Amino acid sequence: MSVADPMSPLKMTVATSSPSELAHRPSRAAIWKSALLDRASLIIPCVMLIGLLLVYASLRDGVFTLDELNLDTAAAMTLILAATGQTIVLLRGGIDLSIGGMISLGTVLAATRFGTDPAQAAAWAFGIVAIGGLVGALNGILITALRLQPFLVTLATWSILSGTAMIILPTDGGSLPSGWTMFGVSTKLGLSSSVWLLAVLLVFWIWFKRTRLGIAIRATGSNERSAFLSGVSPIGINIATYGLSGIFAALAALYLTTQTGAGSPTIGKDYILPSVAAAVIGGISLFGGRGGLVGTIIGAFILTIIGNLVFVLEVSSYWQPIVSGIILLVAVLASSIAEKSARRSLS
Amino acid sequence: MNIRRHRAILLAYLGMIILLLLTSVVAPGFLSATHLRSTAVLAAFIGIVALGQTFVIIGGGIDLSVPWVLNSAAVLMTLLANSQDAPLLWIVPMLLAAGALVGMINGLGVAIFGVPPIIMTLAVNVILQGGILVYTGGAPTSTAPKAIQFLAVGRIAGFPVVLILWIVLAAFATILLSKTAFGRHLYAVGTSATVAEFSGVPTLRTTVLAYTLSGFTAALAGMLLTGYTAQAYLGMGDPYLFTSIAAVAIGGASILGGTGHYIGTIAGALVLTILTGLLPALNLSSGALLIVYGVVILVTVSLASEALSSLFAALPRFGRQRGPAA
Amino acid sequence: MTELLNATAITKRYGGITALSRADFSARAGEVHALLGENGAGKSTFIQILAGAVRPDGGTVTLAGSPYRPRDPQEAQRSGIAPVFQELSLVPDLTVEENIWFRHEPLSAVRTVRARAMREATLELFARHRFPSIRPDQELRRLTLAERQVIEIAKALSRDPKVLILDEATSALGPQETEWLLGLARGLADAGSLVIYISHRLGEVREIADRITVFRNGATVAAYDTQAVDDETIITDMLGRRMDRLYPERKKTSTDTVALGLRGFGVDHRLSDIDLDLREGEVLGVAGMQGHGQRELFQALFGIGGSRGTVDVWGKPKTIRSPRQALTGRDGLALVPEDRRNHGLLLAKSVRENLTLSVIQRFTRFGITDPRREGALVDEMIATLKIKTGTPEQLAGTLSGGNQQKVIFGKMLLTEARILLLYDPTRGIDVGTKGEIFQLMRDLAAKGYAILFYSSDLAELVHVADRVAVLRNGRLAAILEGEQNSERQILRAAMLETRAA
Repeated sequence: MSVADPMSPLKMTVATSSPSELAHRPSRAAIWKSALLDRASLIIPCVMLIGLLLVYASLRDGVFTLDELNLDTAAAMTLILAATGQTIVLLRGGIDLSIGGMISLGTVLAATRFGTDPAQAAAWAFGIVAIGGLVGALNGILITALRLQPFLVTLATWSILSGTAMIILPTDGGSLPSGWTMFGVSTKLGLSSSVWLLAVLLVFWIWFKRTRLGIAIRATGSNERSAFLSGVSPIGINIATYGLSGIFAALAALYLTTQTGAGSPTIGKDYILPSVAAAVIGGISLFGGRGGLVGTIIGAFILTIIGNLVFVLEVSSYWQPIVSGIILLVAVLASSIAEKSARRSLS
Repeated sequence: MNIRRHRAILLAYLGMIILLLLTSVVAPGFLSATHLRSTAVLAAFIGIVALGQTFVIIGGGIDLSVPWVLNSAAVLMTLLANSQDAPLLWIVPMLLAAGALVGMINGLGVAIFGVPPIIMTLAVNVILQGGILVYTGGAPTSTAPKAIQFLAVGRIAGFPVVLILWIVLAAFATILLSKTAFGRHLYAVGTSATVAEFSGVPTLRTTVLAYTLSGFTAALAGMLLTGYTAQAYLGMGDPYLFTSIAAVAIGGASILGGTGHYIGTIAGALVLTILTGLLPALNLSSGALLIVYGVVILVTVSLASEALSSLFAALPRFGRQRGPAA
Repeated sequence: MTELLNATAITKRYGGITALSRADFSARAGEVHALLGENGAGKSTFIQILAGAVRPDGGTVTLAGSPYRPRDPQEAQRSGIAPVFQELSLVPDLTVEENIWFRHEPLSAVRTVRARAMREATLELFARHRFPSIRPDQELRRLTLAERQVIEIAKALSRDPKVLILDEATSALGPQETEWLLGLARGLADAGSLVIYISHRLGEVREIADRITVFRNGATVAAYDTQAVDDETIITDMLGRRMDRLYPERKKTSTDTVALGLRGFGVDHRLSDIDLDLREGEVLGVAGMQGHGQRELFQALFGIGGSRGTVDVWGKPKTIRSPRQALTGRDGLALVPEDRRNHGLLLAKSVRENLTLSVIQRFTRFGITDPRREGALVDEMIATLKIKTGTPEQLAGTLSGGNQQKVIFGKMLLTEARILLLYDPTRGIDVGTKGEIFQLMRDLAAKGYAILFYSSDLAELVHVADRVAVLRNGRLAAILEGEQNSERQILRAAMLETRAA
């Protein structure tokens, strides 16, 4: 309930149905202002990341080197993959808690089934990704057919998948082929395979966001009713969205095993809420329809750099969650304020 | 009583009774007074945490800060009391107030700044987690004072004290939800915050109060739980995020808000605890327990969902009047 | 020319309410065919059936000679029927061009949308139909309502429809865009398409329609060539016999006491310099074309959105920044809002809970609610307003529209506020309930209530209100009373500077 705004000539012409309405064009400055406010949800995390990097660089040498890029990308990659799936679900206006269970299940399957035969390992790797897709599709079917809330359905499937992981491998352990765990270490052109993987992911996203499916997911998150009226299938979109989320959770699990060299039935829960946090810091709206993977990747790097900073500052590592939480709140508040003023400058 | 509207809660109790009957078949000793009592005591901890969660969810939100509000209260109490009873006189009220304050901050963030509840309470949770870890250095703390242990495991005339406490709280919550203006307002806000606002409901105050209550009950449960385990440890609150939400969902509340009741949550807490106790007796691992949890949540929320009730309505025998939805 | 679209004896019922009882409609390719009727005559239901959004209970539709029974809107579109609804089907977070081509985007070899092809197609579409200039790469949510309406039309045209349905498409448009749209419709018809044109503006209809079909109470009552009929005949057919008993006898009950006095009242740029006195015992009508400030006036008086200027309530200045500050018992103001489903009612809650939502303190003692006292209030209100509900526990969402509106009235009357703000309280409500609501308003006025009453139906203002304040461009254009209070005078005042309809 705000106090009346002072009248501005811009508003006058935009909102009344006077004859000049469509003929009127806002000034160049106004266009710039609203364009900035419009992109605030991406600009804010960019500024945050640059700020953190500058602080980091002031404390330590060699921050802006390829080695550092390789290291940080490797550290962030599992979260980035998990958050990619989460981003797709959030864009559709849902949420996927089950990725925690899927990541756990993926690592224990990899650690117990890969064996030493590369062909067998490859087959299982594909198998794990397929399981991820199927579990996600099942989430989508349950949500649509029973008209249940995504939060509850994926909470339940998280529990089921975690339980399955614990039955397969009750405690951390198992083993992976040595070639598999070399993945993160190998480099090409000075860039680690993690960085190349990130590049592949970006290429995927540039492709995906321009497919009909990519547009439909965003549209459904933006206005479900309009999207369905325009011919988007309610069950199809949910199967695709949550299926993709499951696939990316499986990929995150596989990547994680290249780093840890073992399976863990409980590790997945460490990625559920951070995946949401990375996306939200990166400007994805929880109400759906707005944001993209680039923001999420920046968000994941922000969370990773916070870890580095806490390390070089030689303070307790327990400061990491505190700073992450504050960054999360600041990002959400800043973008909600920007959104409000963007709306006001247009209403 | 309008059966249709309380169907979800009735289902939760029906499920609980079926579960108890099943228990008596597969593990006869489980229906003994001793076992029932210990089950109820364990359920009380879930039930107390889920009390605040019930209010928040009915109001259309969710509280993910429960684990570390609980854990913070537990750790701070043992640290400050240093196993002495006397300081509890100021420590307990202070920590309850601190829990309520954290809840109030959650509520203000959600109601004033429009931060999505998931994000607001998640951020508060990790900030508390980090704060407590930094404060304690991650080391375990001293044992719980005797008085707290009495509250958690002691008995009065053979009846567990914590159960008495739970019954009192349950009565309080039931009156609050069913018999006060605050309860009415909470259901209205959870059903539609806009309609509530247009009807003159104090939406801000109502939302903040629900989160405040949740912070209070989480802090209370944290201290009681310390008495039960005789010690506070880091991570002791983690299971309660899942169980508090699951108890509310099994108890028939919609996660979208506006429906449900603490009476249902009680059944939800009992169902979860009975399952926890039953599975070891069946030689099932904790993995199997998680699977069963998941299936139980899916089944109960499906049974309570509108999709299934419209299916029931389509059957003539179950048919209920369905006017034009205009 | 042969008939392109033929509908015979279409019926449709929603629960107990008959939306269409016997609708016939027949139109040929190459014409603009106007569909006229009062609100609730069944026009919307009929075009929803054509658009595949609703399935008829009975009757047949043929399109180009073959049976036409679309299962969903997509099938209707594939058959060449494109509707432009008032309720838009656009997505706020997609760009203009993404919206226009949504689900029909031109694809590249790797299945991505060809941005350049889409841009060219958009510009070509805009140029072909001489669209007002709108940047294709803007996100839709940054567009004004009028611009969105234009894009909705572009979306429909992008499918190259054989039949274009325009449902009140000009209501959100300014005069220039209206002119454009009329030309567009005429051009499409001349090029061989069928344009079904629904509008309340008879002037527009006269300008472009070749033929007219009139619906009344869910049935077709007349069809004629536009040239062969005069306005009086059309209006008589639309209204049927004037239902005079719809309106209660209007006795002057107002006193000299000012219940609500506004001085320099305004809401940002949308409402300015309103000086108005609402007297005790008076029904003061508010009129205006859509979007000329009446919504802002009502909402601001109820504390929604900011306002400036002074508000005196029963002679004392009052600050109202939230509905809570408006609903202050006998000295307060109560609003019956425009949007019944989103602002007025908790559809998933019972009639009882809705009725007493604003007055819980009236039956609360020592913090505890008393079901018996609540029941007494509820029963009394159900009886007074003759709310047709099975029990007070029936869910509000299952009531008919008229009874839902009565529940909202009841909720506001229970607050005992004696200044009532009624925003289009009879919209979408059956005739019987309308009559009851008008009677209730006059009865309340006789008891000393002061009522501010907006209606989109001018006849209601003329017959129920003592005086009518007309808004134009957010300013008070006229206050009409006595002989001056007529539909013609209201329209003149509301549209003097805009285009005459």
